[in-house]
Amino acid sequence: MDFSTVELTPEQQAFQQEVRAFLDEIVTEEVHEHERRTGDGFNEAVHLALGSKGWLFPAWPVEDGGAGLDRVCQRILALELLRARVPGITASTTGLVWAAVELSADPELAAQLKPEVAAGRVRFCLGYSDPEGGSDIAGATLRAVRDGDEWVLNGSKLWTTGAHNCQYTFLITRTDPEAPKHKGLTMFLVPLDSPGVEIQAIRTYGGERTNAVYYTDVHVSDRHRMGEVNAGWATLQGPLSAEHGAGRPDDGLSDIGILMGTREFEDAIDAAARWARRTTRPDGTLVADDPVFLDRLGALVVETEVSRVTPGLMGRVKSSLSYIDGIAELIDLVGPEALLAHGADGAIEGGVIDYAHRFAQGTATYGGTTEVFKNMIAQHVLGLPRLSLPGSKQFVR
Amino acid sequence: MERFELRRQDLSLDDDQQAVREGFGDFFTKQVPSSLVRDAEPLGFDADLWQRVVAMGGTSMGLPEEAGGDGATLVDLVLVAEELGKVVAPVPLVSHVVASRLLARAGGADELVAAAAEGERIVTLALQPVVGGNRQLVPDAAVARDVLAWSGEGLTLHTLAEPAAHVPNQGSTPLAWFDPAAGESALLATGPEAEQLFRTAVAEWKLLTAAALVGIAASALQLGVEFAKSRRTLGVAIGALQGVAFPLADVVTELSGARNLVLKAAWYATHEPDARPELPLAAFVQAAHAATEATWVSAHVQGGLGFTVEADISLFFLRAKGWSVLGGDPGQDRRQVAAALLAAV
Repeated sequence: MDFSTVELTPEQQAFQQEVRAFLDEIVTEEVHEHERRTGDGFNEAVHLALGSKGWLFPAWPVEDGGAGLDRVCQRILALELLRARVPGITASTTGLVWAAVELSADPELAAQLKPEVAAGRVRFCLGYSDPEGGSDIAGATLRAVRDGDEWVLNGSKLWTTGAHNCQYTFLITRTDPEAPKHKGLTMFLVPLDSPGVEIQAIRTYGGERTNAVYYTDVHVSDRHRMGEVNAGWATLQGPLSAEHGAGRPDDGLSDIGILMGTREFEDAIDAAARWARRTTRPDGTLVADDPVFLDRLGALVVETEVSRVTPGLMGRVKSSLSYIDGIAELIDLVGPEALLAHGADGAIEGGVIDYAHRFAQGTATYGGTTEVFKNMIAQHVLGLPRLSLPGSKQFVR
Repeated sequence: MERFELRRQDLSLDDDQQAVREGFGDFFTKQVPSSLVRDAEPLGFDADLWQRVVAMGGTSMGLPEEAGGDGATLVDLVLVAEELGKVVAPVPLVSHVVASRLLARAGGADELVAAAAEGERIVTLALQPVVGGNRQLVPDAAVARDVLAWSGEGLTLHTLAEPAAHVPNQGSTPLAWFDPAAGESALLATGPEAEQLFRTAVAEWKLLTAAALVGIAASALQLGVEFAKSRRTLGVAIGALQGVAFPLADVVTELSGARNLVLKAAWYATHEPDARPELPLAAFVQAAHAATEATWVSAHVQGGLGFTVEADISLFFLRAKGWSVLGGDPGQDRRQVAAALLAAV
């Protein structure tokens, strides 16, 4: 067991300074303003700048376009990117998809894409959820039909976040509607500039932009098929298990569980704590001296401490649900000032609590709803039996 | 507060810690069937079991080597306390270990510390400061002649000829009223350092009790899961139904967070005691919550059967609150957790 401060070598210290200086330079107020305005989770200039340093895939060797960083420097970089609030959604989906590309793509295609992905010029998004399907991604209905050396795609996907900033989507399709549900799926890496692809923006009240993507007679070469035909479920599992946080290295240099919004919640709690220290009640007493305020704030702090140490999938559920409950309570503690928008007169620390409240609500859905994960916890952690439903094994439309 | 500090996040146990967990886990599982817990009611003390805990080194391990102990860390002690909680062992180990450590730190008489190390004299701690002549309920005082208490005068050892009278209580613990005016008293230490020793002891008591509550939650969960796997309704095991499975999934989530927060708090208290002094209190708040939820959910999963005295879940349900409430209102701990944040941001 070890929670000690990691002692840095002079080289690692120099690296930390270099990262901080570089991020200070590239992550300008304009970058934050762009993110507030677009909700893209992506900034091209920042992404390319990180790519130029090899920091999009920092563990890769330098000759592959990475930075050859050791585990400590990887952790330094990850923490500094979080500290600097670098928009990172598209960087993250690109990393997830790359794991599958490396495993399942045509080797020539993978070799061709690798330097582009490392440099930041090629980016990937996730084409998982059908409009009718939600988290049940194995129930995909988007149809792919073979036509010689090509495949023809028809259908649509929701929640393809970043599609408008990406070159390819990692698409799950139905290639055999007669086969059992998980045996009729095939994955493709579809170029998003293909004729017949239409991307439409969807806005969330968390401030994010995601997309609906429509595929009408889209032709994609067999070269862009990922893995075997009808073996799409296995092809997809690689990045999905990475997304669900499987395989945590045991050197203590990563988070214990999957944190969904805990940092945004902590930002809001810290802002409320500072607000309490400078704010007086109508009777002249300091909010920070009010034992009722402290009791309720303390309960929220306990929730974040617990979220940080709850392991794996359980952490994913705990962090999201305690954040959603807790941020509503935090707003009650602070009052209407908490909901003033960025730039409004009297907004608290740039509207950080307002943002955290809106953002919280999506965290119970990203990457699969909390209910999907509760099913997995029940089955894999507790060993409870799986409930067999009509659509569990069969493709039911 | 430094939210992006480069610290390790490593909860793995080393071989020695693993051996402590397994050794005490085997011991408590073998020595404490639920029948023994029932037989020890209503007092909640089994003298034979106490002797076996002493022989296992349970009473001496947490003392420094110069006081006849093994210098075990709080990480070791929380591992023991969780195993104790899993079987709700009717022994006053948590209070005794914490009070013995306080006694040794505060310069208690060598003979008394030695007798405590050997489990011959059971010592306990009044968790609330003594104000005037007010009496207070003290955990395990019905089996301990010696009570350590903090007041405006300082840290005092109160010794009675016989332990105070047991007061029957929902958790079947050896609870008794402590009267600061009764018996003999000896002032051990005064001033801010003595007060800090007292506060550290209270935090240690809450941390070890939190670990025991995690053990209670774990056993309660196991009972509920076993029932949910075997009990059938409408042709399926009830555990396949989300209305049953999800509350149990919530329980294992809360319990896992509580266990890890206890371990993290124990690590800080051992290696960097000044860095996060509020963590034991946060762990106590969470463990009390997890044990309350786990025992209720498990009892409810078992339906009417879970509400019967005959069902073992009753032992855990009644102690989840019966043990946690001894530490006082968690609201007090939450206020301290918040105060630590306010001082840091």
